[in-house]
Amino acid sequence: MSRTHITCTVNGEDTDFLANPGTSLLDALRDELGLTGAKEGCGTGDCGACSVLMDGKVTCACLVFAPEAQGRNLLTVEGLSSGAGISGDHLHPLQQTFLEGAALQCGVCTPGFLVAAKALLDHNPDPTESEIRYALAGNLCRCTGYDKIIRSVQEAAVQLRSAK
Amino acid sequence: MTAIENPKTYKWVGTRPIRHDGYDKVVGKARFAADLNLPGQLHAAYLRSPHAHANIVSIDTSKAEAMPGVKAIVTGDDFPALDITDPNHDVSINVLARGTVLYHGHAIAAVAANTKAEAQTAAAAIEVEYELLPVVLGIDEAMADGAPLVNEHNHQKFVGPSDPSNIATHTPLERGDADAAMAAADIVIEREFDCAHVHQGYIEPHACVIDTGADGKANVWASSQGHFMVRAITAAVLGWETSRIKVTPAEIGGGFGGKTTVYLEPVAARLSEKAGRPVKLVMSREEVLRSSGPAPGAKLRIKIGATSDGELTAIDGWMAYQVGAYGDFAGMVGAMSVASYKFPNLKLESWGVLSNTPKTAAYRAPSAPHAAFAIESIIDDIASELSMDPIELRLKNAAVEGDLTAMGMPHPRIGLVECLEALKASDHYQSEPAEGAARGVAVGFWFNIGEQSSATVNLNEDGTATVITGSPDIGGSRASMALMAAEELGIDVYSITPVVADTEAVGFTDVTEGSRATFATGKAVVEACRELKVELCRRAAQTMGVDEAEVEWVDGAAVSPSHVGGEPLTLAAITAQAKRTGGPLTATASLNAAGAGPSFAVHCADVKVDEETGQTEIVRYTAVQDAGTAIHPSYVEGQMQGGSVQGIGWALNEEYIFSSDGVLMNPGFLDYRIPVASDLPMIETIIVEVPNPSHPYGVRGVGETGIVPPMATIGNAIKAAAGVRMTSLPMSPPKVLKALGDAR
Amino acid sequence: MATVHLMTQHRSLAGGEAVVEADGATVGQIIDDLDRRFPGLAAALRAGSSAGIDGEIHAEPEFVRVQPDTVVYFVAPLTGG
Ligand code: FES
Ligand code: FES
Repeated sequence: MSRTHITCTVNGEDTDFLANPGTSLLDALRDELGLTGAKEGCGTGDCGACSVLMDGKVTCACLVFAPEAQGRNLLTVEGLSSGAGISGDHLHPLQQTFLEGAALQCGVCTPGFLVAAKALLDHNPDPTESEIRYALAGNLCRCTGYDKIIRSVQEAAVQLRSAK
Repeated sequence: MTAIENPKTYKWVGTRPIRHDGYDKVVGKARFAADLNLPGQLHAAYLRSPHAHANIVSIDTSKAEAMPGVKAIVTGDDFPALDITDPNHDVSINVLARGTVLYHGHAIAAVAANTKAEAQTAAAAIEVEYELLPVVLGIDEAMADGAPLVNEHNHQKFVGPSDPSNIATHTPLERGDADAAMAAADIVIEREFDCAHVHQGYIEPHACVIDTGADGKANVWASSQGHFMVRAITAAVLGWETSRIKVTPAEIGGGFGGKTTVYLEPVAARLSEKAGRPVKLVMSREEVLRSSGPAPGAKLRIKIGATSDGELTAIDGWMAYQVGAYGDFAGMVGAMSVASYKFPNLKLESWGVLSNTPKTAAYRAPSAPHAAFAIESIIDDIASELSMDPIELRLKNAAVEGDLTAMGMPHPRIGLVECLEALKASDHYQSEPAEGAARGVAVGFWFNIGEQSSATVNLNEDGTATVITGSPDIGGSRASMALMAAEELGIDVYSITPVVADTEAVGFTDVTEGSRATFATGKAVVEACRELKVELCRRAAQTMGVDEAEVEWVDGAAVSPSHVGGEPLTLAAITAQAKRTGGPLTATASLNAAGAGPSFAVHCADVKVDEETGQTEIVRYTAVQDAGTAIHPSYVEGQMQGGSVQGIGWALNEEYIFSSDGVLMNPGFLDYRIPVASDLPMIETIIVEVPNPSHPYGVRGVGETGIVPPMATIGNAIKAAAGVRMTSLPMSPPKVLKALGDAR
Repeated sequence: MATVHLMTQHRSLAGGEAVVEADGATVGQIIDDLDRRFPGLAAALRAGSSAGIDGEIHAEPEFVRVQPDTVVYFVAPLTGG
């Protein structure tokens, strides 16, 4: 099978990679680019663990073929914290409020929630609880019962608004 | 949060620091098993049975072997046959079938190839000839006289030699005279209940990467609730010495009991051995649902008698748990989990019954939720017949220290009454339900268990510390270990690095199950710290030039009244001198903990029932639970909330739907629908703290009890809202609609 | 003499008794003492029971020490999730 050459922007950097046409974007990110933050919980678009932003829209990377990323702008959880650092100072407010609010237990769903929540707050800086719940309804978490996730998103929204 | 009865005040225990491992988890760096790739790694895939019960007449792998990229194939014949009495016999024929397939999706062969696609294609090309056997799917069917055998290797447990049977266990429990008490009761209510199989639904599918080297040693990276368990089972199934296997725990993406056993590792290890290359084996979601262990389904008939003033005088119950294709303990525990009320007269009989469905596995408080659904539903009916407040009726009968569990053993200090009082006083219970909503409450109990744990605490030269345990962190236990060590040593929680070490770097530790990590492993951490404090005082006495007996450890420093100048010697000052005072400061504690404290929970739900669709909406939900002592309250709340929501899913949506020939019809999250954020309100929590006298900080373990009350809580709320008593789980819209129709 | 509470399914092996007395400094010795009076009971007890002693459940009770006034409750083995 001949592999396709794909060029795109990933977390702000020009990136290129090769992938079989039938490879999912999720597999390409994880196996070709070493970005294992996005997880495969189902492979069928039902759990949101693989969520990435494609041109700012939440996308299940397991449902997209790698070649469809051609020319697109991708953001994964690895691109959420600003700057090079992985230290507390550089964390996105969502990452910080998730930590402080204990919004993760096992943490396998966390990358998907963070990415989906960022997309929500980018479009709607002051969502109601119900808007948050519906925006995140495509992301499954089996550990937390969602309570602390919702509260952490609410808190991050407050912080982001006051930083503006 | 209401702290009801914890007289002690601690500096670190009970605080909410950011957990140490959290940073890697929010930036996407945490390594789960499927995130690991090794140079030269192969990918493996299974061939699984298309039949629920069949003899395997022949397996022909020759075509598959010749396919591109294929490096190794294994079948059951590649593993030693374990004796039927071997405790790992069942798991050994579950990881790959031997001679007979016992359920649809039972693994038959596995292929390792250069790519996953090649492995899958080759697995599909393996030719198997089957001879179909009768499929037994239901409890009544399996228990009927002359029923075909589900599994010819199954014998009833604990009864001595017997013929093969569809019964796994039979447990009668009796005290007093239930028949006489029932005859004398003013009110008797009897009902039948049934519960569908449900799955733990962890978001991370089972995964491992294994490299079996030329020296014959296997390096295993796996996601599990216990890497020593993975090592032991893998060794037993392969017929290897334990020392040939090293298991490094990957981060685990949820378990809830479902990762207390092994599916992949022996298979991947043998493939890696055959191919001489590392092998990665990851289940798909469909494989997880079809072929890993769900929780049992059940049928229950429960009768409860009471006096007209609300004293529960007798319970008479029959419970049967459908444990899957192999014997399991669930049935025994179901009856034993009846422990919330005094019940002077009790007659319970519980059965574990086989069927040609996947081998069931533990799921939070295994088998207690089914029993509580039935019993708490009837108790609610008694309260309404007697026009009593449901909490008052429960308070009147609630078990306290010294009251007997169904097993006959008296309860130690427990906190059920405190939980009921806390709910009664809560804002939720004190407020009226919203317009159109109605309220239900229910109680849950779980034993919790102790078992074996090890911990090593190393003090570093600069006064920081490393706390090394063998308990995989499935929801904040690293932070809890660090908090207990910080409290003991008197140093900052962030000066402590909690580590979950591999099987060669820490002493044996049982699986993280039964809510035991914070209890038992925490106890080991505390013991190691206490041993270190004795040594620290000894070292300080040398430096201070005083008598050892005079030195005390206070607030992270050694103090002695006769030390001139009186300056305390800090931990950092002592560790800096370690080389001169006797060498490195380190301590290890290993124990088999008894005395895990029983934990009670009381839940309260306000629901609305849509009479057109049968849909139940949860409007408000509160979970109250006795944690003993909450080491890190955020993660205690998290366990309570997570358990509650799993229970809400169990109550309203989740069920395994089998076709008549035993094929699971909903093997994906689309049709096996677990709760999503928009289904739910906030889950309010009230942590009650009645310290467990058997733990240095009073910990009881909180992971499991939270899943016990929700089904009855919601069933009772539906009864209050719509007037129908639901007796079948899940209480899905079609069933509620039907009940509403029948009532009209 | 320690007091021993038997599980319902073991009572038929002990002449129908629910509560019996036995001698021994450990649970194992108590089991052996019971077996002298009730042959077969030891095998049944050792095939799978935990023991509750002083409010604590021991999964492997064989060598747990008991006092003459201890009450031992044999219970079925427990697991967790
Ligand atoms: S892995 Fe993509 S939605 Fe589940
Ligand atoms: S934290 Fe485990 S699935 Fe969300």
